[in-house]
Amino acid sequence: MSSIAEATEIFRQEASELLEQLEQALLDLHRQPDNRSLVDTAFRALHTIKGSGAMFGFDAVAAFVHDFETAFDRVRRGLSPCSPALVAAALEARDHIRALIEQPQAADAAHGESLLRALRAAVEGEVAATPAATPDASPGPIHGPTPGQDWRVRFHLGAEALVNGANPLLMLDELHSLGTAQVTALVDAVPPLDEIDPESCHLGWEVLLRTESPRAAIEEVFIFVSDDARIEITPMTTAEVPAATTAEAAPIAAVPAAATPAAVAERPRAEAEIGRVGGSLRVQAERLDELMDRVGELVIAQARLSQLAVGGDTGLTTVAEEIGRLVSELRDTTMGIRMLPIGSLFGRFRRLLHDLSRELGKPVELVTSGEETELDKTMIERLADPLVHLIRNAVDHGLEMPEARRAAGKPAGGVIRLKARHAGAEVLVTVSDDGRGLDAERIRAKALEQGLIAAEARLSESEIHQLLFQPGFSTAKEISAISGRGVGMDVVKRTIEQLRGGIEIASRPGQGTDVTLRLPLTLAIIEGLLVRVGNGRYVIPLSAVEECVELPAGEAARSGGYSLLNIRDALVPFLRLREMMHCATPADPHQKVVIISAGDQRLGLVVDQILGSHQTVIKSLSRLHADVKTFSGATILGDGSVALILDVAQLLEIGQAEEEELRNRSRQAA
Amino acid sequence: MMSETHPPAMLDVLTLGIGGETFAIEAGMVREILDLVPVTDVPGARDFVRGVVNVRGRIVPLADLRWQFGMKQTAPTADTRIIVLELELDGEATPVGILADRVHEVTQLATASLESAPRVGMRWRPEFIRGVGMRGDDLIILPDLARILN
Amino acid sequence: MKSVLTVDDSASIRQMVRLTLSGSGYKVVEAENGAEGLKQAKAAPVNMIVTDLNMPVMDGLTFIRELRKLPAYKGVPIIFLTTESDAARKQEAKLAGATGWITKPFQQDQLLNVVRKVLG
Repeated sequence: MSSIAEATEIFRQEASELLEQLEQALLDLHRQPDNRSLVDTAFRALHTIKGSGAMFGFDAVAAFVHDFETAFDRVRRGLSPCSPALVAAALEARDHIRALIEQPQAADAAHGESLLRALRAAVEGEVAATPAATPDASPGPIHGPTPGQDWRVRFHLGAEALVNGANPLLMLDELHSLGTAQVTALVDAVPPLDEIDPESCHLGWEVLLRTESPRAAIEEVFIFVSDDARIEITPMTTAEVPAATTAEAAPIAAVPAAATPAAVAERPRAEAEIGRVGGSLRVQAERLDELMDRVGELVIAQARLSQLAVGGDTGLTTVAEEIGRLVSELRDTTMGIRMLPIGSLFGRFRRLLHDLSRELGKPVELVTSGEETELDKTMIERLADPLVHLIRNAVDHGLEMPEARRAAGKPAGGVIRLKARHAGAEVLVTVSDDGRGLDAERIRAKALEQGLIAAEARLSESEIHQLLFQPGFSTAKEISAISGRGVGMDVVKRTIEQLRGGIEIASRPGQGTDVTLRLPLTLAIIEGLLVRVGNGRYVIPLSAVEECVELPAGEAARSGGYSLLNIRDALVPFLRLREMMHCATPADPHQKVVIISAGDQRLGLVVDQILGSHQTVIKSLSRLHADVKTFSGATILGDGSVALILDVAQLLEIGQAEEEELRNRSRQAA
Repeated sequence: MMSETHPPAMLDVLTLGIGGETFAIEAGMVREILDLVPVTDVPGARDFVRGVVNVRGRIVPLADLRWQFGMKQTAPTADTRIIVLELELDGEATPVGILADRVHEVTQLATASLESAPRVGMRWRPEFIRGVGMRGDDLIILPDLARILN
Repeated sequence: MKSVLTVDDSASIRQMVRLTLSGSGYKVVEAENGAEGLKQAKAAPVNMIVTDLNMPVMDGLTFIRELRKLPAYKGVPIIFLTTESDAARKQEAKLAGATGWITKPFQQDQLLNVVRKVLG
């Protein structure tokens, strides 16, 4: 049944959220082991996973979580403290639950067993260390086997019992669970066939039960049976069992039962503070992607419509304008739905940092800010890996060992800061450490050694920092398991560029390093500046455009050669797109320069004509064009034709290389 | 040559004319056949995939096999068509348009009549051809599109 | 159409209850904790309530105690649907006004039978 499959899918999502909550709670407990409400949160997450897991056939999950819960229950009941060892064991157990849910076939049962042993050792180890806990447990059981008491339990449920939800089978099961039971049905009250009311329960049962539990436990089986039931519970006097042992056992067993309600009543209701905003709805991520695709197509169709409506009759024009307005509102709403706070991503790194800190022996604190900053969900998903790399690098390379820190007059524990904030149409995400900062000399030496730069190359500080993003570059003196394998930073850079973003590095010697990712708000639709170069039309992302100026007449006449433009007393290099696109047609008499920028880099792009701004639905180019770096994608214009989108980061790089060459040439000339 | 108990395996193909030669493409790969639409030039791309076209909102690369077979470039005519195929590129199903001077027909080729490309005496690179066959007096070329485009 | 309010912090359990009951002609209303359940119950009267015990914000026991204070909910059947089977909790639930108790994991038939019998 597909709807069951759907419910199972909901369970998977829910479980992954609960596992996240569990992880966060455990990480918090690491620092605040006495926080009751954290313990409750962790416990409740386990509890729900267990219940729902069993519901959807994840029996291995339910069984494992049950044992996990049992161990953790000691913490909840205040019998064991929440030690770092327990947190570590619980985190590993949490990972195992995830494996059990995501890849049940691959999960290793033996591994699960060893995790549970570790958990039990973590809670029980603490118990052994608490002297008061051990001695008073012994007297009862010491007298050897306690066979229990025999009882005869007879019950007839009332006529209304089934109607009220009672299930005699469950009651019989529960009696079974108390000890050994022999069940006989009592059929004396069953009426002749034609008088049978199928909704009433005419049967009765007699159960011969041997149990160590007190009478109260048997009575409790019948709690929810309506008052007209007849229940007789009698101790069997013919029992062969010595009565003395039973009498001793009973009060001991009765203690927890009596104590529980009070404990329940006292449990702090801190949860009430959490309070959630109601009225939210769960939607499958793919549906959001689909919605975005449809809106994208609608935007294109609408552009076409408004083009057709130009010069048409006024009725058509009015409708086209109305649709234009609605489409742009729909686009904004849709993009809004896809926005998620980046905090959901930051949360994941706490675990990473916890593990890194243990592995490398560097105490680290994670400080996050700007969690509420919203980004497109696809962007958030694709940011995860680059941020993992950056955080690893920061802890592994950025932070010094505790002794070195102390020697430098810093606190032994390092701080990693994750910060997100809006800046115009961009989001800036910064990973900072308070470590030693980048060693420009060492980076330079390394680059030289690896043949990435020439010995005489003069590089600015930011150019040296950019060397870190070269494929194969690694400065780690020893290759560690965490980072320093020479893959990473170049992959980070490529991923960020694919997201149409950029990376900046700032380093303060002895004080730390900041790596800032600049990212557009969304991936799917951008505002673009449509330009014409020869016969071709191209889109420049408007967020990168600073201004448009006329190409000075003197420059227009030349081709190639010295390409610097004086923009308000600053020299800006420029690229002639006509040359880049190999245009054969004659240039327009009044060419324009579009000044684009990212960070502190600026570049002019010479075009024939500026056609205006254009809502651009970004489509990717196929693998056959993966080798063409100048374009980040393509879009469909109102007339149905395709326009390519210029890759700003790539163009800036080309511009920088060109400027470099110009400088070298002028140096040689001098 | 052919045993009577085993009927010859037939291959459904679409035949098309490119640069004066007849090519055959497995019909199963063909998604649609379009009249020529405006092609957008991709500066910097390899010659044989110099353009992209809009196929129902998807950006589809347009391949011109004439480059790979060393044929003369000619201006499009009223018969020029774009054959949209689905090809596996790097393990991903990718729509690709092929420029054809004209589309002939959907027909069947007996696989037994196909021969592998002769290593010598061919004007074309043998690795681009899966086989050649005869149909009447016509030589039919079965190109290896995945190889040509990768 | 008879309506059933399912209160559970687990969306998958709510979905399962919905699947089980809506296919048999019951209207199912959902709430993810006691506080929301109370809001829902007040906003639109329901004929029966199936609730979890352990939930954030407001747990099942508090929820039904509050519910039983409302005149409209004096006689409405309330069934607990929970992983717990601790007798003391059951006793507490009974005192708070619960009508029945089903232990998770439950069979769809089992829930349906109970609801059918209670609501007809």
